Amino acid sequence: MHCHCQMSEGAMAVVKPEMKSYIWLQTVDGSIQQVEEEVAMFCPMICREILQTGMGSSKNYAISLPQRVNPAILGLILDYCRFHQTPGRSIKERKTFDEKFIRMDTKRLCELTSAADGLQLKPLVDLTSRALARIIEGKTPEEIRETFHLPDDLTEEEKLEPLRNITDDPRIRLLNRLYARKRKELKERQKLKNVEVEEERVDERSVDDLLSFINGGDGDSKGTRTKNKKKHRRRKEQNKDSSSNNSNWNHNKEFDPLPLAGQNGDLNDIFVGSPSRNPKSQDSTAANFSSKIEFVDGDIDDDLDPAMKEELDREVEDFARRLNSDWPERMQEILSLGQERRPVPISMNDNGSASRYTSLGQR
Amino acid sequence: MGDFSGADLISDLPQSIIESILTRLPIRDAIRMSILSSKWRYKWTTLTQLVFDEKCVTLTNDGAAVLKSLLNFITRVLFLHQGPIHKFQVWTSYLQSCPDIDQWILFLSRNDIKELALELGEGEWFRVPSCLYKCKKLTRLELFRCELEPPLTFKGFVSLKSLNLHQVLVAPDVIENIICSCPLLESLSLSYFDSLALNIRAPNLKYLYLEGEFKDIWLEDTPLLVDMSVAMYMTDDIAEHFEQSSSCNFVKCLGGVPQLERLSGHIYFSKYLSIGNDPGILPLTYNHLKTIELNQVSFEDMKEILVVLYLITSSPNLVELQISGSSNTPAATDVPDLEFWEKKGPSDCLFKRLKVVKITDMSGVTHEMGFMKFLLGSSPVLEVMSITPCVYVLEAQLNILIELVRFRRASSQAEIVFCSD
Repeated sequence: MHCHCQMSEGAMAVVKPEMKSYIWLQTVDGSIQQVEEEVAMFCPMICREILQTGMGSSKNYAISLPQRVNPAILGLILDYCRFHQTPGRSIKERKTFDEKFIRMDTKRLCELTSAADGLQLKPLVDLTSRALARIIEGKTPEEIRETFHLPDDLTEEEKLEPLRNITDDPRIRLLNRLYARKRKELKERQKLKNVEVEEERVDERSVDDLLSFINGGDGDSKGTRTKNKKKHRRRKEQNKDSSSNNSNWNHNKEFDPLPLAGQNGDLNDIFVGSPSRNPKSQDSTAANFSSKIEFVDGDIDDDLDPAMKEELDREVEDFARRLNSDWPERMQEILSLGQERRPVPISMNDNGSASRYTSLGQR
Repeated sequence: MGDFSGADLISDLPQSIIESILTRLPIRDAIRMSILSSKWRYKWTTLTQLVFDEKCVTLTNDGAAVLKSLLNFITRVLFLHQGPIHKFQVWTSYLQSCPDIDQWILFLSRNDIKELALELGEGEWFRVPSCLYKCKKLTRLELFRCELEPPLTFKGFVSLKSLNLHQVLVAPDVIENIICSCPLLESLSLSYFDSLALNIRAPNLKYLYLEGEFKDIWLEDTPLLVDMSVAMYMTDDIAEHFEQSSSCNFVKCLGGVPQLERLSGHIYFSKYLSIGNDPGILPLTYNHLKTIELNQVSFEDMKEILVVLYLITSSPNLVELQISGSSNTPAATDVPDLEFWEKKGPSDCLFKRLKVVKITDMSGVTHEMGFMKFLLGSSPVLEVMSITPCVYVLEAQLNILIELVRFRRASSQAEIVFCSD
């Protein structure tokens, strides 16, 4: 089909015609094209196919290329092969060509990498890998995600794990928080009952607790109580509640759209596992909260009398049960419970009365 | 951030490509990729190449703090890593000798380490633990500021191809043993050794780089050597040793390297070669030697000149020649033999392939001029001869030029470039 000699018959005897041989290639969409043999042979995969199976010599026996190689990309690859298989090119020329060659949008570059790998064209794979690495280097995670269309589907905890090695069991963390809340509630109740000098201390304590929750997002100790040495990391998206006496409110946190926890953001843990994915949710293992929990941090119970302890235990078990049931039903339950039980995280005001939090972004 | 409408472009590429991309990123960036998405979370952990330097941690003025965070970082990475580690490299002057490194090497020895490179900063040298000698798959070893003391049962690294020891404390016989017990050794680099008399038996050796105070260099069995670079420093001990030596250094050093393509000598190398008996008319020919670079050649020492001449006349395929003179030679004790260069007429030999000649640090002494004249007259395909005079002889430059212009040139295309700065 492609004959280099267009000459009159008279000249035939003198000049030898250049007959190139061609290889036939078929891409996954069914289209077939022919390529000069030496260009096609530059790709190890094609080369092997020809040598081992003898395919490619005619249209009917076209070599099937891997799925990753679509016609447009094949064109690019063949351009690359055509340039590089030509002998006599200096190293500088090749480098210049390469630099220009890989200037394309990221999507194409990725397709090219994949296709080159499919054809086992290692020099091109190296070239494209280098280009991709250059694209990635120096970008922030958001930028990288945007460039490559990556889903942001890791939880906050998971994002931290690889670098920080959090070893806390999230269930224990949750329990700590529950106990912390309960303790505060009980303290408030006690305060009302007996006005003592202790009051002052109790007051301070709750403020401290609140402060540490709020400041927890700075990577500081989440520990709600001074005794709790475990460090937790909270991220900015945590909705932190505060009472009006707290002035250290950090506003660099986004607020979660769902009615949220007071001090604990406990509901965040509950959110996990729900189909309506909350990207700010905590580690998913919190959802598998069993009622038999080993409580590690024993000194939490120090100030409570046995009766309170029992009540606490009951509450926790209840809470655990809730966690294990479905989210929508739970939500209903909680909303409908209203004042009668207070498993819904509440905000604590100065006077000790509870008010449920329903609006967002408010202090 | 919400989802993107486009499909994920990159996460589903084959692992080999992902690894190819990740290894081209600084390791810290590669690990940070783990927070991008769930698919990327552990992609970095199977990287087989781990390369660390001070960019892995935040740098402050407090060296101890930087070291601590660096140690921490590397240990954590190893701990999180999965699978074999083929290359492990820590290249930073912040690194100091500490027990953490022992543990790293132990870990690596259990994970098929193939290439290990450790550079320590100034300070106490690190004593390499015994587990290193059990790394059977080691192909490349590079150590800076370490101490090597292999156990008596050590039989060598059977797979080692490249050995680079820089400022390493090791007993001379030990180093010789290591070299000859690594049958596949192709590249050897030893620098800053003190008073080492080296005997190299490495049948597969191709690249040799030596720098330091060597008393003796004997390439006993290196038939495949292709590239050789030697920088010999001198101390009084060595100078004495030279004087007392009776063996022919030239033959010892360059007698068994027929495949040599590139030779580079610095400082006292040419002097070293000149010591010993005159090789006479030895049937040594370097058919593949294309590039010769000899620095700090003293043109006031007849013996050294003879060595240079012998070398270049035994290399019929020489293409490039670089000679630099020695600017701090003592004043010549003999009267230079002016007849010498007349006797070496152009008919003696022709450098049929010589194209490029560079002569630097020229002082304009008689023999230098004679040498240049000889080269110009014997190089029919010479393209460029560039001459850079020594900075201390500004006055003599004009004289050099005057003489130079008179020399006959065998090559009509020869360009003479005189660089005076």
